[in-house]
Amino acid sequence: MMMTSRWVTPLFLIVLAAVFTPGAGHADDVSIDVTKGKFVRIRVHCEALASPGRRSAEVSSVDADELLAGDLDRSAVFTVSRSWVAGEQPFDVQANIGGKWSVSGGQVKLTGQVLDVPARRPILVRDYSGPVQSWRSLVHRFADDVVMQFTGELGVSDTHIAYVTRDGRNKELSVMDADGAGATTLTHDKSIVQSPAWSPEGSLLLFTSYKNGTGPQVFVVPAKGGRSFLVSGRKGNNTSAAYSPDGRDIACTLSLDGNPEIYLLDARGGTPRRLTNNRAIDTSPTWSPTGREIAFTSDRSGAPQVYVMDRDGGNVRRLTFDVNYTDSPAWSPHGDQLAFVSRTTAGFDIYVCRADGTGARLVVTGGSNENPRWSPDGRHMVFASTRAGPRGLFVSDLDDRPARRIDMGNQEVMSPAWSPRPAGPKTNP
Amino acid sequence: MKNTTNLWRAGLLAALTGLLLVSAGCAKKAVQAPPVTENVPPQATPTPKPTPDKDNVPPTPVEPKSHALTASDLQPVFFDVDSYSLRDDARSTLDANARLMRDNATAKIVLEGHCDERGTVEYNQALGERRADAVRDYLVQAGIATGRINVISYGSERPFDPGHDEAAWAKNRRAHFAFQ
Repeated sequence: MMMTSRWVTPLFLIVLAAVFTPGAGHADDVSIDVTKGKFVRIRVHCEALASPGRRSAEVSSVDADELLAGDLDRSAVFTVSRSWVAGEQPFDVQANIGGKWSVSGGQVKLTGQVLDVPARRPILVRDYSGPVQSWRSLVHRFADDVVMQFTGELGVSDTHIAYVTRDGRNKELSVMDADGAGATTLTHDKSIVQSPAWSPEGSLLLFTSYKNGTGPQVFVVPAKGGRSFLVSGRKGNNTSAAYSPDGRDIACTLSLDGNPEIYLLDARGGTPRRLTNNRAIDTSPTWSPTGREIAFTSDRSGAPQVYVMDRDGGNVRRLTFDVNYTDSPAWSPHGDQLAFVSRTTAGFDIYVCRADGTGARLVVTGGSNENPRWSPDGRHMVFASTRAGPRGLFVSDLDDRPARRIDMGNQEVMSPAWSPRPAGPKTNP
Repeated sequence: MKNTTNLWRAGLLAALTGLLLVSAGCAKKAVQAPPVTENVPPQATPTPKPTPDKDNVPPTPVEPKSHALTASDLQPVFFDVDSYSLRDDARSTLDANARLMRDNATAKIVLEGHCDERGTVEYNQALGERRADAVRDYLVQAGIATGRINVISYGSERPFDPGHDEAAWAKNRRAHFAFQ
């Protein structure tokens, strides 16, 4: 902090001096450029996919065109113009994106192509094929590869978001594609579901449920649907479960020893190992991506605050002293940042700070904004918000654009959790 | 840095004040009520309000019931914001509830811990449990067998009043008595 302010102050004074000095008319432009520099997007132009032969009534190339352009826009890496929309002329673009689309015999094939501008040299050409019903996933995979081509890291179009839906007094667990398509309800227990969390390879979901009638217990269910299994049904609270990055352990909150503490469970069963030990509330564990540390919430200093400890429970330190009443920590997938919420009169705002607790900054405000969860590339954050009426899910790209709502009708939804990228080979050779 | 130091000082002061208030409460109550505060850390924030609205506190039953105990005989107790300390009004309610439970020695109860809607789902889970635990500990110290009491936290999932204002929240921060 001190280092930063020492540097910032003189710079700030110089800018101020420039602004208030007669004749220094361009000082404003300079400072604006510096601010905007963080959020520059790459301009690309989408060309309609060529669709030889008869068009499929099921999935036309027009649907694929729109989905691809939408994926590239939602990536927060690109500013997209579309050849099929009047008025969206290519301007200063770095690449043209298009290819071929064909559907036959229940199979769809996409040949994705990225052309350099102005040379029109192909810099990425790749085939994707699969059953017609998986067409959205094929488009997502191409979009994610385009992001990879320009940033060195795969995009996150081909991922999922788990969340909780309210139905009267009941809450059920659901999952959908990251763009909001294909929503499926996984539980039908007419009970209370809370706190979904993905296994590291994305095949399983941990969640809290009251369905056995004896209080909150931790269950696991296949993310594609199926029977759920009890993970922890010990006396008292069993809540806030989170897989370790290697999938071997589950950190969760249990109160079997008298008050809510954080424990490690072997994912295959066994005796819980207690990590926290005090009379305060300890809950909401989130793993660092290395698996060496766990951030959590505790009210040991009065109001709730986020703390960090080593994975054996040692070396406990408070994350930040800059922000009051913090909760709901989420470690970023690259390990360099933590998101958390801070209570306001309206509910919660979302903050992000460095992993050492410094540099806390407000990233989401307006209404109540809860439960921040990072996308697997750390470029986006999904959260639940009341900013537009009943609680809905929103995605922030952590840049200067407003968060966008995932359209889910009038359902009240909450507690989102962004899946990891799907396991296995991403693309056809 | 200066600001941070001041914040610390203010926090320390608040904590000490809280501690003093809690111990004063103990001393006053030491004769008729067991001191359960040892399980409850002092709350630095927020400042506890002495008594809530009259409307929010149901009257305690005056005459002992001769018929079997029903759930509605055992009155709920209410809590301050973010707190799981028993207030004075909660202690007198619990003294009455404990008497009824002693007179009906077979009744087994479920203590439900509840929170208002502010706070995260996970934190409210824990807070609701601490509230129910504080009530259980008080009843046990008052001579009720531990085996007669089960505790379930509902966090903020089952509000008594669905409203979104302080009047509703005050009714929702409660420990509710049900039968097993």
